[in-house]
Amino acid sequence: MISFQNVTVRYPLGNIALDSVSFDIEDGEFVYLVGPSGAGKTSILRLLLNDIHLSEGSITVDDFEITSQKFKKVTELRQKIGIVFQDFKILPESNIYENIALSMLVKGFDKSQITKEIDDALRLTDIEDKKYLFPAQLSAGELQRVAIARAVVGDRSIILADEPTGNLDPKTTWEIMKIFKQLEKKKTIIFATHNTDIVNSMKRRVIVIKKGKLIKDKKKGGYEL
Amino acid sequence: MNDIVNSLRRTPYQTFAALSVLFFTLLLSGLLFISLTFLQGLLNYVETRPRVIVYFQVKAEDEQIQAVQKNIKNTNKTSEIKYVSKEEAFEIYKEFTENDPLLLEMTSAEILPASLEIDATKPEYLPELAEMLKNQPGVDEVQFQKDIIDNLLKLTSKVRKTTAIFFSYLMFMSIIVLTTTLSFKIALKREEIGILKLLGATNMYIRKPFIGESIFLGALATAFANIILIGTLISMNTFLQGYFDGIPNLTISLAGMPLQVWPFNLTFAIATLTVTSIFSLCITLISSFSATNRYL
Repeated sequence: MISFQNVTVRYPLGNIALDSVSFDIEDGEFVYLVGPSGAGKTSILRLLLNDIHLSEGSITVDDFEITSQKFKKVTELRQKIGIVFQDFKILPESNIYENIALSMLVKGFDKSQITKEIDDALRLTDIEDKKYLFPAQLSAGELQRVAIARAVVGDRSIILADEPTGNLDPKTTWEIMKIFKQLEKKKTIIFATHNTDIVNSMKRRVIVIKKGKLIKDKKKGGYEL
Repeated sequence: MNDIVNSLRRTPYQTFAALSVLFFTLLLSGLLFISLTFLQGLLNYVETRPRVIVYFQVKAEDEQIQAVQKNIKNTNKTSEIKYVSKEEAFEIYKEFTENDPLLLEMTSAEILPASLEIDATKPEYLPELAEMLKNQPGVDEVQFQKDIIDNLLKLTSKVRKTTAIFFSYLMFMSIIVLTTTLSFKIALKREEIGILKLLGATNMYIRKPFIGESIFLGALATAFANIILIGTLISMNTFLQGYFDGIPNLTISLAGMPLQVWPFNLTFAIATLTVTSIFSLCITLISSFSATNRYL
């Protein structure tokens, strides 16, 4: 369960990134976080990772309650969350297996568990044959599959996807969306995008953010620019 | 281990610089440690052999010497008294001047003084015994080890101070070089560290490879330094045997345990290795923690 209660993020120079935003997300829910660039979508994701600090309000992620800048359990919180970035953030000097394994190594999984889960994740993302290749040998779509595989392994119950299809062509975008569809119900997914086609095709919950304010929160909604 | 070796191979110049500095630091530290232990061992040896040597006038009678010997023995502050006659003194003189026949020709047993070598039970009895001997009839000169001990103490104190300053400087220099080298490597891996942090890696998990790498470098430098140090000691064995002729062994107390410094032995080699390893570990841990701190 994720809960935002009157969350405000104010930067030191006074500009407001989020203004009293409140919403709840149930376990296993798939939520689109939409809005124009600079609306505050990434700020919400970064708040969930405790990568930026809130100025007012409170955030609850399962047992963790973030109310101030002095939140101590950052590592434990982040170990519950898988992240998929627009620019993949795959380590170029490690092969695909090693990149995905990072997500489990930081949580102290043993080698047999790592190998098994990575094989499952590679099957899910359909890149089983790329296991020992290096990132330079993969296309953008394949790299994003690696990023998704890294986000799902290691018993991470929440997946945050920040514009994961932003760098991909339409065909690859739909292939990536198919993977996210398979993850539905198993993981809580917050998918930040401004791609209206994706949002409107899947008819899932949509939270619209504009200029730091929550302006719409609709079950099975759509989105228009 | 493979990761460490790969990481070092990717930055050969930085690795060489760090390894060189660590090697020289540990080599010099080891040399200082050995010098200090030998000096301390020598001091301990001299302190445990409190001795007064009293030289009699050339014309002193045997009865006079025996009377002095008796008086001194009666003080109960001596452990051993050895009489060296004029003839024995001449034999000793001959040994010393065997390479200089001219000196030997000019000397005879008659012009050499008889003497008593008196070992005290405690070093603090030496001044008292010396003072007493000076007032005995037939006594020409009294020598005791106060001067030697004072000089050794002064030397040991100076070497200790110099060592402390030198150690601190070497440690500081090594930490700076190693921290800079590691910082450079960490800067190259900034993106990787960022990803690891977002994945929930603990600070220790992120630090571990850098700590492992610097400890590996430290271990390598310690091994090289100790090979040179122990090799030097072994090759100098004959020279040192001549230098410490007559001294059966030199022993110091290290961390409350007796450690035999001379003759050179395996325990002393292990002690040198342990001291340099601890020094190396301190340098590498401080460096890797200070280098990673900036990015965590």
